[in-house]
Amino acid sequence: MNPEPPTGTPRATATLEALHITKTFPGVKALDDVSIRLAPGSVHALLGENGAGKSTLIKALTGVHQPDSGSIVVGGAERRLSDPSAARDAGIGVVHQERNVIRGFTVGENIVMGRMPRRAGRIDWAGVTREARRCLELLDLELDPSTPIVDLSSAQMQLVEIARALYTETTVLLLDEPTASISAAESDRLFRVVDRLRDEGTAILFVSHKLEEVYAHCDTVTVLRDGHSVLESEPLSAHSHDEIVDTMVGRALGSLTVPDRRARPVAAPALSLVDVTTTAGHHGVGLEVRPGEILGLYGLVGAGRTELAHAIVGLERITAGELRVNGEPVRIRSLREALHRYRVGYVTENRKEEGVFLEQSITRNIAVTVWSKLQRGPGFISAKKERDLVAGYVSDLDIRISSQSQLTGRLSGGNQQKVSLAKWLAAEPEILIIDEPTVGIDLRTKRSFYELIWKLADEGMAILLISSDLAEMITLADRIAVMDRFVINGELENSHDYDSMSRDVIHLIHSGAEVAR
Amino acid sequence: MRSAIRAQLTTPRFLLFVIIVVLVAVIVALKPSFLNGAFVLAPLITSIAIFTVVGLAQMVVLSIGHMNIAVGNMAAFGAMISGISFDLFGLPLVAGIAAGLVGGGLIGALTGWIIARTGVNSFIVTLAMSFALLGLVPTVYSALSTGSAFVVKPAGFDALGRDSFADVCQFGYCGPAAIPVMVVPVIVVMVLVAVLYTKTRVGRELLLTGSSVKAAEFSGIPTSRRIVLAHTLSGVLAALAGILLATSIGSFTPSIGDEFMLQSFVGPILGGTLLAGGYVSVTGTLLGITLTLVIRKGLELFGVGIETLNVLLGVILLIALSADRVREIRLRKGRTPDASAPPPSDPARSADRSTEEVPA
Repeated sequence: MNPEPPTGTPRATATLEALHITKTFPGVKALDDVSIRLAPGSVHALLGENGAGKSTLIKALTGVHQPDSGSIVVGGAERRLSDPSAARDAGIGVVHQERNVIRGFTVGENIVMGRMPRRAGRIDWAGVTREARRCLELLDLELDPSTPIVDLSSAQMQLVEIARALYTETTVLLLDEPTASISAAESDRLFRVVDRLRDEGTAILFVSHKLEEVYAHCDTVTVLRDGHSVLESEPLSAHSHDEIVDTMVGRALGSLTVPDRRARPVAAPALSLVDVTTTAGHHGVGLEVRPGEILGLYGLVGAGRTELAHAIVGLERITAGELRVNGEPVRIRSLREALHRYRVGYVTENRKEEGVFLEQSITRNIAVTVWSKLQRGPGFISAKKERDLVAGYVSDLDIRISSQSQLTGRLSGGNQQKVSLAKWLAAEPEILIIDEPTVGIDLRTKRSFYELIWKLADEGMAILLISSDLAEMITLADRIAVMDRFVINGELENSHDYDSMSRDVIHLIHSGAEVAR
Repeated sequence: MRSAIRAQLTTPRFLLFVIIVVLVAVIVALKPSFLNGAFVLAPLITSIAIFTVVGLAQMVVLSIGHMNIAVGNMAAFGAMISGISFDLFGLPLVAGIAAGLVGGGLIGALTGWIIARTGVNSFIVTLAMSFALLGLVPTVYSALSTGSAFVVKPAGFDALGRDSFADVCQFGYCGPAAIPVMVVPVIVVMVLVAVLYTKTRVGRELLLTGSSVKAAEFSGIPTSRRIVLAHTLSGVLAALAGILLATSIGSFTPSIGDEFMLQSFVGPILGGTLLAGGYVSVTGTLLGITLTLVIRKGLELFGVGIETLNVLLGVILLIALSADRVREIRLRKGRTPDASAPPPSDPARSADRSTEEVPA
């Protein structure tokens, strides 16, 4: 029993085939007779809306779920993946959508975790460093294995997770939405790693909602819809972008029509920041959002956008400069004050931890901001008013629920996000900050979100939109402010022309210089 | 309607109720003396009343995902304040009790303030508080009382602690000797706590704070104030339990509250309150306490020693904690009784029902 993995040997290759996989959960058939074939040296895209069964398939391929029927064949031998470590033994590595590292440990320890090199019964620390370095080098990563993992950005952690998958002999690598929450530059780096692994013969499964990158990097495609495979392991080049979208949503979606918002009324700014410096590290930040306007705040992850939102709603302190609401200089000390006194709402980027109460009913989630309005006698809540209010938002936002007392954690990501948004809409804010509204949300829901945001702006709400998705930004925003390293590099009027806008925005990020509007 | 009833029948509370009924039937069949009103039932119900308040004192902090290790010491402290009010200042019954409750509330508020302010785990802070009070209370008793007890009883003191409804007569009819007068204030307190959690804004904010402090903060709930409030309530309820215990034993002593801490967890957890916060059940707490005390009383009747009782209590606590963990896991997976039940028509019931994670 030698725990040391093989080093320096040419990497083995294998084909993974999942045949006629069916998996039923109480009440739903998550996968119905789904087959997929991952060939060595190719990148296979797995597409589908949220709830289509992508995650379930990945879990079935990695031993987390046991399929009710069907078989999994790796390198010609049928495998029973009774648990995740069996999948690892079979050469299947996975990087999940959420970061899966152990905080408090180093990069090296995270890579060799579970199979520490040992000598004489004790951990061989030199071996840990050596092995970790070997895995990092496979990916061309210049990271010191002794770095604490918490010092890394989320994108770097993701790469470390890939390195971990390579520590054991991995012939099949599953990447579940690796680009959902990282910036364009970080995605480029990830794709360099992916391309390299493919060239070395790894079979790669790639899940993404971003079709542009799928077309740029994938060779074959499987599309799932409601647990069925509607396209099965076909060459991607045989299908157009529109065809793929159609198969995903199951009806001709047509392209999203961007409303003409050039004629929006010009009013005095609802929210303005004048030369603002914050405890988070911003300096000289100036922004203006007018009623009925959507100001996009674009930047790479870590540029300081979320922190700026926090400063506006009182979660970070503003140490110099002025924050004005409807022209009046204000000092907001808490989110509560932001909401109830200044009518500023903040839809957080971190939906699961900050946006909703997963273990509470939908009613309680939506009504939380407005209980003062639902009172019947001092401090008592009128259940009828509460129910009516929630029912209104459920139908307005088209939130798919079985009943108001359903737990929010049971909803799909898109519907949870709608609950998070409904909570703020219920409070009737005049200014709404929306932070990364569509991360991990399927196309159809995304589309309805866009329409909703336009509608809110048309109704006169001032909207500050934060997003890492440049395409989304160019679709939605009226103006785009570009932030880099806690400074606003410049602002652009949005022409909604993707090519020219993306070039200008990227230029602004890289130049770091002030560009005339 | 029928499925609503079925949902009720599969709750842990209903299970508890059935177990209690069966247990009582078995005990009565073997020892008919269990039904003796004045000597068995009245003391049993008195302790159920007192320990239910103890359980509620723990439940209110569990609702925000905290715990109160000092619940017994806070009871001792509150009772001590009442004892001093009667003994040294000669206050009447209600004023002395109020003073004790305020004392307990202040200690609880201080605890909550420290937790909210420093962010230190409630276990650590209440543990420290418990040690501080463990030293303070006997010191005050030996300094201010003769024989380490406050024994002055204002008018109505014994009536509250020792009378049963047999002593309450109207138009020539008297009530049953099995039911002590003490149940009246305890029922009032139970109703108040239940209303707080099911009907009021503050109660929901407590539960949401327990569900996720972060999300609560991001929804504009003043979480620090809610944390202080939960611990204040816990202090008040603990003090009330201490005072009620003093009235039933007839004097204020430093050992009041010694047995509270373990019991305070057993009741709520058996009754469906989640340790992790976000879900509470007042009726469940009452049933959980009742079950353990009925077992205790039954074993006592069979002459089983206190050591065996404690072993049994430990086993029950383990079972209750495992049940809590199972419920929590189920909840995280999103399994809920609500999915199979129709949308509730009565809000109190719906809030109530969501407290019960039914192991299907």
